[in-house]
Amino acid sequence: MEEKGRVTLAHGAGGKQTSELIDRVFKEYFANPDLTGDDAAVLGLAGGRYAFSTDGFIVSPASFPGGNIGKLSICGTVNDLACMGAKPLYITCAFVIEEGFPMEELEQIAASMAVTAKEAGVRIVAGDTKVAGKGQVDGVFITTSGIGLIPEGVETSGSKAVPGDLVLVTGDIGRHGCTILLAREDFGIEADVTSDCAPLAGAVKAMLDVTDQIHVIRDATRGGVGTVLYEIAEQSEVGVSLDAEAVPVREDVKGVCGMLGLEPLYLACEGRLVVIVPEEHAQAVLAALREGKYTGSAAVIGRITDEMPGRVIMTTEIGAKTLLPPPRGELLPRIC
Amino acid sequence: MSGKENGKKENKAREIIENYDGPGLRIMEVCGTHTHEIFRLGIRQILPPQVELISGPGCPVCVTPADFIDEAVWLALEKGVTVCTFGDLVRVPGSKMSLAGARAEGGKVQIVYSPLDACQYAADHPEEEVVFLSVGFETTTPAACLSLQEADRQGITNYSVLTANKTMPRAYEALRGSADVFLYPGHVNAITGTALCKSLAEEGISGVVAGFTAKELLAALAIALKKYQEGKPFFVNAYPRVVSEEGSPGAMKLVDEWMEACDSEWRGLGLIPGSGLKIKKDPERYDARVRYGVPKMEGRSNPACRCGEVLQGKCLPTDCPIFGKACNPLHPVGACMVSGEGACSAYYQYALR
Repeated sequence: MEEKGRVTLAHGAGGKQTSELIDRVFKEYFANPDLTGDDAAVLGLAGGRYAFSTDGFIVSPASFPGGNIGKLSICGTVNDLACMGAKPLYITCAFVIEEGFPMEELEQIAASMAVTAKEAGVRIVAGDTKVAGKGQVDGVFITTSGIGLIPEGVETSGSKAVPGDLVLVTGDIGRHGCTILLAREDFGIEADVTSDCAPLAGAVKAMLDVTDQIHVIRDATRGGVGTVLYEIAEQSEVGVSLDAEAVPVREDVKGVCGMLGLEPLYLACEGRLVVIVPEEHAQAVLAALREGKYTGSAAVIGRITDEMPGRVIMTTEIGAKTLLPPPRGELLPRIC
Repeated sequence: MSGKENGKKENKAREIIENYDGPGLRIMEVCGTHTHEIFRLGIRQILPPQVELISGPGCPVCVTPADFIDEAVWLALEKGVTVCTFGDLVRVPGSKMSLAGARAEGGKVQIVYSPLDACQYAADHPEEEVVFLSVGFETTTPAACLSLQEADRQGITNYSVLTANKTMPRAYEALRGSADVFLYPGHVNAITGTALCKSLAEEGISGVVAGFTAKELLAALAIALKKYQEGKPFFVNAYPRVVSEEGSPGAMKLVDEWMEACDSEWRGLGLIPGSGLKIKKDPERYDARVRYGVPKMEGRSNPACRCGEVLQGKCLPTDCPIFGKACNPLHPVGACMVSGEGACSAYYQYALR
């Protein structure tokens, strides 16, 4: 490819070529009334409680079946806000791009961000672009920050699970981690798995329309559902009783995990929430989720107990009880 | 078979296990994957008290002695070769250090997922000397031989292997007093067939070839209990879906072409004559010990660690004084804590305590 098709250091120097890059890629895709050429976005926010979050994305490879780093960077922050019950409103994004990165791929990434932001109902209101020398970053790194309004009466937190609550997951687990593993082609395994990467603000709204009595919402990202369950068990000082057979896992993901000796509960997801609700609301919440675009395979997977606080106990397929091995911090690098 | 009938069979097997009222016995699962699955499924909980499951020496990482790690560290640090290895081996303690330690001191240690990857690495880096750490049983040895065949075919001259490959037949004999029934490793038998296990039964050693799903494991255990009550030595292939009588002659032929039997040191079991494999074909080129003149190592494991007794079923991981304290999955002292298939690691990870 000739130089014209690639990002160069000049694109990050702040001069004419920088504005060309911004015009060609970012303004082209991100245009909205709140994205001005000024130094900062000026937003008119009403009184109330806001959720505010930031997240960095360094996934390798930058494009993978079911998404790319751009889509991921919007979903990640949108979902973090949604976990607090918030309606995401505004997002900012900062790019660090490696010299020589293909312009076409950058455009695809920006286009995915625009589509995903639109779907999630957020506006991209400010951004930044830096270009680093060849080898100083790998491809492209993106950081997004976002803000969202929490409806009155909604209060979710990892510390709010109480014994008797039911544990739901909003879809089949482990697909993102599995997809990235296979996309790296280290294993010579082929399977038709795509990332579950999706914006879940709509799913959260649908649940809150049923009841505002949702105790915990957590998105299962890097460490997978297992890590999230341990975090909640610890924060809320409760036990989690998990029904291993109720956890939705696609057959192909199971197959890959079997071959590589991985536990699907510890594979990354990028479009799955763990939701903890009082038992009396669980069926209505589940029904609402099953109507949703990304949450059709939602399921009840367990219950909060007062036994063995801080631990996740699994009922296995033969009906015996074992400890879900606690997360060991050996997760795959650069998965999101 | 319909799912319903399948379920019935599973229930029947379970019923036999739960209602077993025969004499006490010790069943040794030989394969690390069996150990892991038995723990993951919680199978121990449904066994009657007189039935004891022992985790045997079937995880390749666990039985690899400290001197093998010392040899690999020596190659990396003294000879400057690139050591290609399965990830599990990197954290196994040697006498002085693990391969992770060698890497921190500037040694080149490359993690691969198959021996062919190591061979490919050698082809891609002709300026480096590349050694693959060949551990494993009958299941993984053919792949190591395949990588040698590939090196030979492509004329790759910077690739050799450091062997610690092991074979099961002599190990069963060495372990005969440790258990009443062996749960034979289905994957090994898929390669070797069943003739050996049949002849072991004639010598008085009983066993059942088991698969790896809940259903297959329960079926194999139920068969073991039924047969044991009959009082005669027995052999049953309870994994016929995958294991045939003749095994995989192609894989065996490939191994036979490249390797020959030798005495081999097993962590915990000591030296078992004829239980290992070394390079037969052109050892000056392909056997890293010959090629680099690796000196004899007098490897020494941490004396507090009781992995050796765990591997022979003489004690439980929880009987070891350092289990879960000085020795845990993040800081393993013994090999059985390193690999996810090791008995200590399985106890640590899954046991409710």
